[in-house]
This record gives sequence, structure tokens and C-alpha cells, in this order.
Amino acid sequence: MLETTETVRSEYEPVQGRIAWIEQFTDQDKLYVISLPDDVELDHDPGQFVELFVPGVGEAPFSISSSPTKDGPLELCIRAVGNVTRALDSMEGGDPLGIRGPYGTGFDPEALAGDDLLFVAGGIGLAPLRSMINYALDRSGEFGDLTTLYGCKEPAEQLFPEELQRWDDSEEMAFYETVDQCPEDQTWEGREGVITELIPEAEFDPETTTALVCGPPVMYRFVIESLQEQGLADDHIYLSLERNMHCGRGLCGHCQINELYVCVDGPVFNYPEVRDKSEAEV
Amino acid sequence: MTVRAVADSSVGRVDGMKTLAKSEFETLIDGLIDDDPRSVVGPQRRSGQYVFEELDSAADLALEYDLTALSPKKYLLPQYEQLLTYERTDGEYEMHAGTDTEGVIIVGVHPYDLAAIEHLDKVHIDTMGDEPYRKRREDSLLIGLTMQSVAPESFAASMGAATTDSGYDLLVTDIGDRFVVDIGSFEGNELLADLDTHSASHSEVQEVRRIEDDLRGRFERELQFPPEELPTLLAEHYDDMEFWESYAEQCLSCGSCNMVCPTCYCFQVETVRDLGGDSGYQQRSWDGCLLEEFASVAQGENFREEVAQRHRHRFMRKGLYVYERYGDVSCVGCGRCTRHCVADVADPTDVYNDLWEATNA
Amino acid sequence: MTERPRVAFFDFTGCEGDQLQVVNLEERLFDLVEVVEVVSFREAMSEHSDDYEIAFIEGSVVTAHDEERLAGIRENADVVVALGSCAAFGGINAIRNDQDFETVTERVYGDDADMIEANPEARPIESVVEVDATIPGCPIDREEFVQVVTGLIRGVEPTLPNHPVCVECKLEENECAFHRDEICLGPVTRGGCGADCVGEGTHCWGCRGMVDTPSEDAYTAVLEEHGLDAEEIVEQYQLYWGWQRPERATQEEAQ
Repeated sequence: MLETTETVRSEYEPVQGRIAWIEQFTDQDKLYVISLPDDVELDHDPGQFVELFVPGVGEAPFSISSSPTKDGPLELCIRAVGNVTRALDSMEGGDPLGIRGPYGTGFDPEALAGDDLLFVAGGIGLAPLRSMINYALDRSGEFGDLTTLYGCKEPAEQLFPEELQRWDDSEEMAFYETVDQCPEDQTWEGREGVITELIPEAEFDPETTTALVCGPPVMYRFVIESLQEQGLADDHIYLSLERNMHCGRGLCGHCQINELYVCVDGPVFNYPEVRDKSEAEV
Repeated sequence: MTVRAVADSSVGRVDGMKTLAKSEFETLIDGLIDDDPRSVVGPQRRSGQYVFEELDSAADLALEYDLTALSPKKYLLPQYEQLLTYERTDGEYEMHAGTDTEGVIIVGVHPYDLAAIEHLDKVHIDTMGDEPYRKRREDSLLIGLTMQSVAPESFAASMGAATTDSGYDLLVTDIGDRFVVDIGSFEGNELLADLDTHSASHSEVQEVRRIEDDLRGRFERELQFPPEELPTLLAEHYDDMEFWESYAEQCLSCGSCNMVCPTCYCFQVETVRDLGGDSGYQQRSWDGCLLEEFASVAQGENFREEVAQRHRHRFMRKGLYVYERYGDVSCVGCGRCTRHCVADVADPTDVYNDLWEATNA
Repeated sequence: MTERPRVAFFDFTGCEGDQLQVVNLEERLFDLVEVVEVVSFREAMSEHSDDYEIAFIEGSVVTAHDEERLAGIRENADVVVALGSCAAFGGINAIRNDQDFETVTERVYGDDADMIEANPEARPIESVVEVDATIPGCPIDREEFVQVVTGLIRGVEPTLPNHPVCVECKLEENECAFHRDEICLGPVTRGGCGADCVGEGTHCWGCRGMVDTPSEDAYTAVLEEHGLDAEEIVEQYQLYWGWQRPERATQEEAQ
């Protein structure tokens, strides 16, 4: 028999949070601002995620969009594509839900200190990167030059429009944006084309720059290739990957990429960690 | 974190062994059935196979068994379990993780299953932390049993799991007309307190050794190489898709091999709603990496869509991935996957020996 | 979906055993009518209304009249649920689909065969109208029905389990039917039933339909190994999958 220690709270028990308010970005994407009980401190790293529980529907993992540099409620940018997210889509301010976490290995601001940072965000991939982008903006003295590249399918899919405008206006960070294509029924004065086209245009010094990349699965290979062409070393590339981080605790097995558990070893990986893992598809 | 109770040095392997009459052992088990609040379970015969089930009497024990359908893992990590209950009243949710998990007294556990539980302990208690598992495990007693019959599918000797000197509270060996018992923990020692036992004689201990040595030679199947070579061998053959496809072609992708494995611990969680009111629970159940949707995500992408990829993942996980994380090859050689595979493509000795021959031919 | 949606049950060609399963909820029926308002249920009540949000449809489509009636129900309902295997994928009615229709009617109805006006094939309701959710099974599993109903109220899109019956046989520690030298459809049949049939000592008959991607070649090899010839193998598939299996093959080819 093993030593008995006193009963501890199960890792699977969430705390009750409450939707403080919701901001709608697109038909499918909303920002959920969630307040936690006063005695609960999330204390997350940029790039980490939480498990969000909608009672009666289920639980799913979501990257934290808010930066730990800002006090205040938790922010999650969520696309309605599954049962949990569709249930969220029909919820309102004041509605209760469960939160546990934060989980995973996020970006390490200390390791990135002094580097020029190049953020490459495709579509909903902006959600996890925004945490680190705002961290870097709030503590710009700790980093070198900041650059963000953001691409989405079409203008109607643009996330965080007001914030993007502020970034565009900011002296602290260079900001480049593109849409894959602008359909005729939408208006767009910016550039059209895929995100990789922005990489050669952005001005950065490959020697001193670290790229932080997040986007849909198909994006990684092309972005990495383009970064390599610009002279970026592999270990200067960080990727935030998404899998089914079902339990968040390195047990259930659904998020495994070869021997790696995305929920524990990731979701943020230094590129060489996953370069040779065929299941990473990068 | 060290969780395993370190056995007192006075209850070490040799001088800690006791001998008792078979009837005394039955008295022990019947006493536990009558007096201990925990369930007492053991191997029993049920429609064509052996299963671990709750005991009504020590007389129901089928200690001659070769292999049970499922391993006793099911008592520590049940097939279905409530992880969390929820109930909404007046706009607030009460959410509670289950705390009523109970330990079990498991009688007659073979060494390969003890080895499997030691591995699960490492994952769920020492490393990752799984509260429901920890609580059940720490409240449970394991009474091990030296194998009397060897399943034709088993190759536990190759995996070093035909015999063991750890992972039990008591380990019982049948030496003919009596049992020799090795004490593995303080609690194990306590169990024997009121029984008529005497210290095992030198010849009785020798007899246990002889039975164990003899046992290791009784396996029909074997790995043609030491299991320590498995991780390297598998890493070398990761990209050998032709090999994995040749097995996958015959694989039903039914997940049976996962379900019966004593070291598999992947799971899924789903919501079970009550019919009346806004209440229900989150149910954890066993899941398997051979099943089609195991590696798919909400947006529809499936990262292991091909059967061959899933088939490879299973063998990689057993012999390479878990080793890289925990330092254990997570196959104990019980042979359950082989026995339960309708298509007969799950036998690890087939797969691993084929790979070894391909490398060393 | 409203707070307490209005629900109607309809029967087409089938044995009404699935609706019987609903009635068999017994005391839980009282909980059911707390969360839904049943406005039509021929097997359990005499009232009827055409004002409903969820329509549960049992039975397969076998006549032109069935098709018309079904289209009308679809028009009235926000959500259409196929209840049971006949509605879900043709079920046991489709056993005749690969046989000569005249021979079948004569065999069943003898001299009255001329009076039978039916389509040559029994089909699931999805071949006529759009279906939002499916509860397969012959009969349906009551707990699955409860989860679908409570899910629909909660805005959850019901998803079917996509693992074969083998998974549940293993979890239940049933002795494998193949080990008893029986032929079992479990390895290619959708689970979710708790493997009750094997647990009761028989084998899986395939009543919940095929898993999304059955390993048919591997399974055929298993059947051959157990001594079945090609004709006997097809016979195994024919009991419940007379519509589903050829339809799957057609769709696969189209892809």
C-alpha cells in the first residue's frame, strides 16, 4: 500500500467563472471576457491554455488571449466550430462556466528577452499570440524590435479590429496585414495575398530575431520555409500548435505528437523540438 | 515525490518470507471478505474465460488461471468513472470532482500485472498526478500470486515480468501443499498478524526460487532480443511505412488491443446529462489510439487518419514513446492483445521480432 | 429551441419497437414530459397536433405516400431525428433490397401481392429529407435517447459513437463470439449499445449500422478464416445493412 496523504482537490474540478462581457468580431469569432472568483489567481504564461467547461455540453481547451502583464479578467477568443464553442456562442454576459488551468508550456519571456520578436499569426492563430504580443508591448524595454504579421482569409474574418488599428498606429511595433482574398461583397483597402508574402517584406535581422508562429495546420510548413529563406535559424522559430488537448494533464493521449504531449510539452515548441516529428506536420 | 512506502528492511525478500497452510490463506481472504469495508476481488472463471470479480468466498478463487480478460487495472482506473458532477441552482453551478473513490483488495495478481500497476503508479502518482487514481491506489491492497499456468500468448519472461520482487503487499507462491508468502509492505505484514504462519525455511525459499526459475522457461513466445533494444529498434523503423501498412491491411482498427492492455491509460471524457433539471456528470472512459477519431480535432482534421499510422503509434507508444518519457518499456508481455485480436495482428512478439529480423538479417 | 420544446413521434414502416423503448422509460417518462411537451405519440396518447419543433421518426420509407408524409413532417419540424435503425439506415426492412421485388411480394402476400404498392427498395428517411440527428439501434438504447433529447434542449448537436462494438465487449469482459466459433459483426458495427447481445451469449447482428470507416477487407479476411465463403459473407452483411452497405460503396466510389 502506498503512503496516504490528505485528500487534495482533484485536478479535474474547475472553478466557476462568469462571462463578464462578450465582443463579437466575426460571424463565428467572439472574445469572451471571463471573470474568475476573487481568490483565484490564474498566473499564466503567454501561450498557455485553459480547459473551459460548459455544464451539460462538455469541456474544451482554449488558448489564453490576455496578457499576464494586465490584471483583470481572462480573455478567450473562440471560434464556434464544435459543441462547446457553439454553446458558448449562445451564452450571454453573467452566464457561469467552469475553468481549470492554466496548462501547458507557453512562451518563455525570459528566454526571449533581448530578442527582436517577429509574430506570424494566421487566422484564429492570433488568439494565443496576442497574449505574447501584448506582453511584449507592455514590457517593450525587455525586447528588441517588435514586428507582427497577421493574415486572415478575408476582411470579414479579421479579429481584434480595434487593437489591430492601435498596433498599426503604434511606434512600438511594426505591423503588416494581409487577407488571402477580398470577396466582391466586402471592402478592403489593404493588401491581398497569403501571409508568407509578408515575410520577405518585413524588415528584420535574422541574427537577432526570433519568430513566434501560430495559425492553421497548413500554414506552418510554408511560413517556416519562408523564414528559413530569410536566414532565420531553426532554433529562432517558435510554433504554437493545436491538438485535442482533452485533459490538459498529459494523460488522455489525444494531443500526442509522437512522444510529445502538446498539453504538457507544448502547445509552444521550439521548432527543432518538433521538426523531425512527422505527426507535427510542420 | 516518493509515494511508495519503503518496506522495512526487516521484511526483505529472504528473511521476510512466511509459510502458511492453504486453509490459513482461505481464512485470511474470507476474513477480509467478511470484515474489511473494501471489496475483495480475485480471478474467477466466467463463461469461457477468467476475470477479476468480486469474491463471495475464497473458495471461488481460480488461482490456476493463466490470463484474465482485463487486468486489475480496472479497479484503479475504471472503464467508466464520474470525474465531475454538476448541478445548477439559482444561476450558480455546483461542480464537484468525485471524492467517494474506494480502494479494493485485489487477490491473485500475476507479476506482469503488478509490473503494469507499478508503471501506472509512476505515471498517475509520481509524475502527472491523477487524484481519482491516487486515492484508489493508495487505499488498495495488492496480493500477488506467482503464476501457476502460462498463457500461450504470453511472453512476460522476455519483458522481465514473469516474476517480480516489488509492487505488492503480499506475494503468494504455491509450493504444493502450502503457500510461501513474501511480505512487500507494512500493511501486507499486518494482514498476516493473526494467522498461523511460520518463517519460511531455507528449503521452502529455495523451492520458491526453483518455481520462479522454472516458470521463466515455460513461455511459448519470446522476444528474440533484450527489451532494452526496443526503443532504438522502433526509432529506426519509424518511417518504414511499408512495414506498418503490411500489418494495418489486416487490422480491424477495432481498439480491442488498447482496451485489454494493462498499461494503456488513454481516456475520453463525455457529458452525461440527467433527464430532469440542469445537472449531470462528466464521465471518463477508456479510449484507444487504434480508433478512427482518436487524433482528430474539432475543426475536423485527423492527425492519424490512416490505420497504419494508428497501428504504428500503438507499437511506438509501448516500446519507444513511454520509454522516452518515463524510462519504462510499457509492454509487460501479458499477451492479452494477442489473445483478443480477432484479426491476429496485435502480437507484439510478431511485430517486434519482425523488425529485429529486418535490422539484423 | 424553446425552453420546453414540443415533440412529436411518427411511425413509418417498422415494428414500433423504438417508440416502445421510449414508453419503457417508465418512471423517467415523467421527467421526460417535464423537459419536453409531447404533442403527438400514437403509441402512448390519443391527442395529436401538427405544431411541434422536434419530430422523432421511426421506420423506413417504402411507399410514395411515405415520402409525401415525411416531407410534410420535415416542413413542420425544426429538428428531425431518425429513431431506430429502419429510419436511420433502412434497417431490417432493407433485407429485401437486393431481391426481386415481385418475388418478395408474392412470397409474403401470396395471391394478394397485386394489392401491394411499394417502392422496390426500403430506404432510410435521410434518402428523402434532411435529418438532423440519428439514434440507431434495433431497438434504440433508452439512455442514448435521453442524451439526444437533453442535448437538443441544451443546443448540443448529437454525435454518434464511432467505435466498433468490440470496444464495449472488451470493457464488459464479454467472451468474444469468435472465440465461441460464432460469426459476429461487432468489429465493423457502431458501438454505443454496451455490447448487450454478446453479453447475453449471442453475437452482434449489426443493428446499429456500420462504423464510419469499417475495415471491410480485414474483416472479410477474418470471416474467410472462420470458414465463410463469399456468399455467406454477404449474407452476414444483409440483415441490417441492405441499404447502408451498397450506399456506402457508391459514396466511396464517388469520392
